[in-house]
Amino acid sequence: MLLLQLILNGLQVGAIYALTAAGFSLIFGSTKIFHFAHGATFTIAAYLFHYALTNLGLHWTLGVAMAAGGAVLFGILLDRFMYAPIQRHEGSFFTVFVASFGIGIVVENVIGMVFGRSFISVSTSLSRSVELLPDLYVSPLVGLAVLTSLVCFVAVHMFLMHTHAGMALRALSENTELVKTFGLSPRRLSAYAFALGSVLVVPAAIFTASSSGLNPAVGHHVMLISLAATIVGGIGSIRGAAFAGLLIGMVENVALWQVGTQWSEALTFAVLFFFIIFRPSGFFGRAAVS
Amino acid sequence: MIRKRLPALTLAATLFSSSVALADDVSIGAVFPLSGPNASYGDVFMSGANLAAKHANEDHMLSGDLNVLYEDSQALPQHGVIAMNKLVNVEEVPYVLSAFTGVSKAISTLAQRSETVAVNGGGVGPDLAALGEYFWNVIPLANNEVGAASKYLVEELGLKRVTLIYVDDPLGAGILNELEKTLEPLGGELVEAHSITPSAQQFSGVAARVRSSNPDAVYIASYGAQQLQIVKQLRDNGVDQQIISYSAFSLPSLQALPEAKGALYTTQSIDWDSTDPVTKRFVDDYRAANGKTPTSYVANYYNAVRVFALLAKELEAQGKDVTGENLLAQRKATDKFELVGGSVSFQDNGTLLAPIQVLEVTGGAGEIKKVYAED
Amino acid sequence: MTAYILNLVVLISIYAILSTTLNFIIGYAGIFSLAHAVFFGIGAYTSAFVAMNLTPSFFVAIPIAMVLAALTSLALALPALRVRGEYFVAASLGLQMLAVTLFSEWKGFTGGIGGVIGIPPVEIFGFALVKPWHFLILTLVCLALVIAIIQRLVHTSFGRSLKSIRDSESAALAAGKNITVIKTLSVVLSSSLTALAGGLYAFYMAFINVESFMLATSVLVMAMVIIGGTGTILGPIVGAALLMLLPGALSYLSFLPQTEIGSIQQIIYGSAMVLLMIYRPGGIVSPKTRGEAA
Repeated sequence: MLLLQLILNGLQVGAIYALTAAGFSLIFGSTKIFHFAHGATFTIAAYLFHYALTNLGLHWTLGVAMAAGGAVLFGILLDRFMYAPIQRHEGSFFTVFVASFGIGIVVENVIGMVFGRSFISVSTSLSRSVELLPDLYVSPLVGLAVLTSLVCFVAVHMFLMHTHAGMALRALSENTELVKTFGLSPRRLSAYAFALGSVLVVPAAIFTASSSGLNPAVGHHVMLISLAATIVGGIGSIRGAAFAGLLIGMVENVALWQVGTQWSEALTFAVLFFFIIFRPSGFFGRAAVS
Repeated sequence: MIRKRLPALTLAATLFSSSVALADDVSIGAVFPLSGPNASYGDVFMSGANLAAKHANEDHMLSGDLNVLYEDSQALPQHGVIAMNKLVNVEEVPYVLSAFTGVSKAISTLAQRSETVAVNGGGVGPDLAALGEYFWNVIPLANNEVGAASKYLVEELGLKRVTLIYVDDPLGAGILNELEKTLEPLGGELVEAHSITPSAQQFSGVAARVRSSNPDAVYIASYGAQQLQIVKQLRDNGVDQQIISYSAFSLPSLQALPEAKGALYTTQSIDWDSTDPVTKRFVDDYRAANGKTPTSYVANYYNAVRVFALLAKELEAQGKDVTGENLLAQRKATDKFELVGGSVSFQDNGTLLAPIQVLEVTGGAGEIKKVYAED
Repeated sequence: MTAYILNLVVLISIYAILSTTLNFIIGYAGIFSLAHAVFFGIGAYTSAFVAMNLTPSFFVAIPIAMVLAALTSLALALPALRVRGEYFVAASLGLQMLAVTLFSEWKGFTGGIGGVIGIPPVEIFGFALVKPWHFLILTLVCLALVIAIIQRLVHTSFGRSLKSIRDSESAALAAGKNITVIKTLSVVLSSSLTALAGGLYAFYMAFINVESFMLATSVLVMAMVIIGGTGTILGPIVGAALLMLLPGALSYLSFLPQTEIGSIQQIIYGSAMVLLMIYRPGGIVSPKTRGEAA
């Protein structure tokens, strides 16, 4: 029963990782921007949701809207005012990474100053587990998290496959020049990618805010996991990132069956390390560049 | 939140600028977490130290004004050492208040080398008792607290099987060690011990493990924001057993957490209604300024500063310099100190003994269930 | 006051060694490592261990630490040979996270999170360096030595090979360079010199624990290199001095709320990273010719 319980826990954590990883992978795949501040987007969305519910007393739908609005705005602003100028003059991979890392630090500390550094959580009865089977506890949030992730993935899939903008985004990841010759603006597409990638963290952020709770550094761990998932899943493959995110969440939890929690993070990164050395293209990815 | 902090801040700021101006003034240092995730502890510690300095100055215990110079440790050892270096080498203070087990251990070498007294009133790791002559504790250490917790669980509540969740640092390791030692002679048992990293935030897996070992009670050895996350996630994930912890649970945000209601914790015991003049003045003035009853942390740092004032007063009377070396000698020569909580004496290892009480989290100030005399 | 300045100069020098050695692989070899703190840690733990169990002699403890770091650095050289760009950054990140767990759990060697306390003062030919002055001289000598070694290397054929690999691996291969050997050597050299900084740090602080060797330190050192200027000799030193002086300087601004200083400091250094990358990606000390920096 313990194992089943751990698998269920892994499913919830994995769903959260899958969503953030998919967002990161979408942005990275189509724009080639190593958006390390994706974790900051997560933190902003989570705190806005908490603020809307706890401090403003709004209905949760408005809270979700606020979180989504904040995340999308943050993503688009970063793309426009930070990444675009950097890419204009040089845009080496590392320059982008450093700037992105820098903004992550700024956001974490500004949030700490504005909302306080201690632990906060959104109180909801949904996070309270019920005994489903003897000794098997499941909170309604688990079901919600898994369901929401599925809906999100189907929606993203439909968008990428069947809409004009989605197809253009996929084309962008293949060949920037080609997109230009067809008269599409890579800059506008880049904004689309950031908007869509950022909005994907919102459900994950909200579930984290109501289940495990928040502190200003909460985005850090999620970002590291998304990064690992993107690479293990194969860069450029959203499906791969989501799958790897789910897998990491599972492994992290199921590992508790045998080892202590302090090893779970190391386990994830050991897997990442060996993937990069022996199979850098990941599960579903194209061949690793140079 | 910000507004509430302001008086302490302006006080700290004025102390900073005035320390240069007046040569007669006596300064002591403090290495507290003033920023970072544990900054809220720093605020609590500061309120106690500032009150004691204010009282000492009102009473003219020393020839000049007593100042406390605050430096930020962020509760991290490396920052603590840099802060301690500044206090010892720039400000040349003879006496430094310290907090947190890791930071205290880190600065102890510097304290010993520079013959500066370091006094801890917040960290409770048992190895704090063995950091050299210049390192004192005005707080009973975790071994005293864990002993009382074990007794209460087994003897009063009949809860014999205990599972521990602990941060794998010196404090957590100390608590693990003490639980193993104290439970068994009482007929209890430490069923399982789960170690976690200081940065861990996800505990649903640990909760599942705890549930499957089905203990009578869960002991939590963490601090700061993390312990709130553990409590919430344990309760959310169907762990309904008695939760028990040590003095870190006196944190106001934990006391206010709905999921923590009914949890037990231990602190040193201070009778806030005591008629003893030192205690009464401390409690009355603290209540007047803050509108609530002080916690033991406030009292400990009040006591730490008061111990300095008492020793320095005596040294001044004897015409000696107030140096770390003389303070140490004077402490050894002093039998009893009149502090908040009554008349107490230091053990040879520089640690105070105090009675321990078991409290229950009620959402308010915590309800005292039982008091165990020092042993 | 002098003691305080001494203290700062020692710390700046130690971090300058770290940033100089990191700059060697970032700026000249194009290996963007986020695992620099790992070798800093290995150097510190090994020196402390040797000092406490064998002898606190500088000429025993430091060489052992450097050899050990050189050996473990092969774990970094391996991904550096196989992948580039974001893959390598991710691999080094993985190595960093793994190392932190090992540092926290291998209590016999590292003391766990509690760390190692009471490391004895370092000795040179039986003479214990207790006074801050003496230690400062030792640190400055080490820094000068590290700079001299790297400066010389950069101007030899080895350095030119490195730069040609950084700029175009395939062109270097076509030119007949042995990429495997050159890359591995540069990582090994950089890591062993990093261990020297670790040893100095352990002896100076007399206390070390895992918190000094985590990702935050790797990022801090990386920021020093980037803010100062990659691919220059002076840049990383300027970067180290700036970032180490920042906290001290801020704490003298008494109008800033004391409880927010840690955050303000972080915000300043995060913003500096962002603004520099937008307006001056070469760092404060840009190389003479743009061609060399790219």
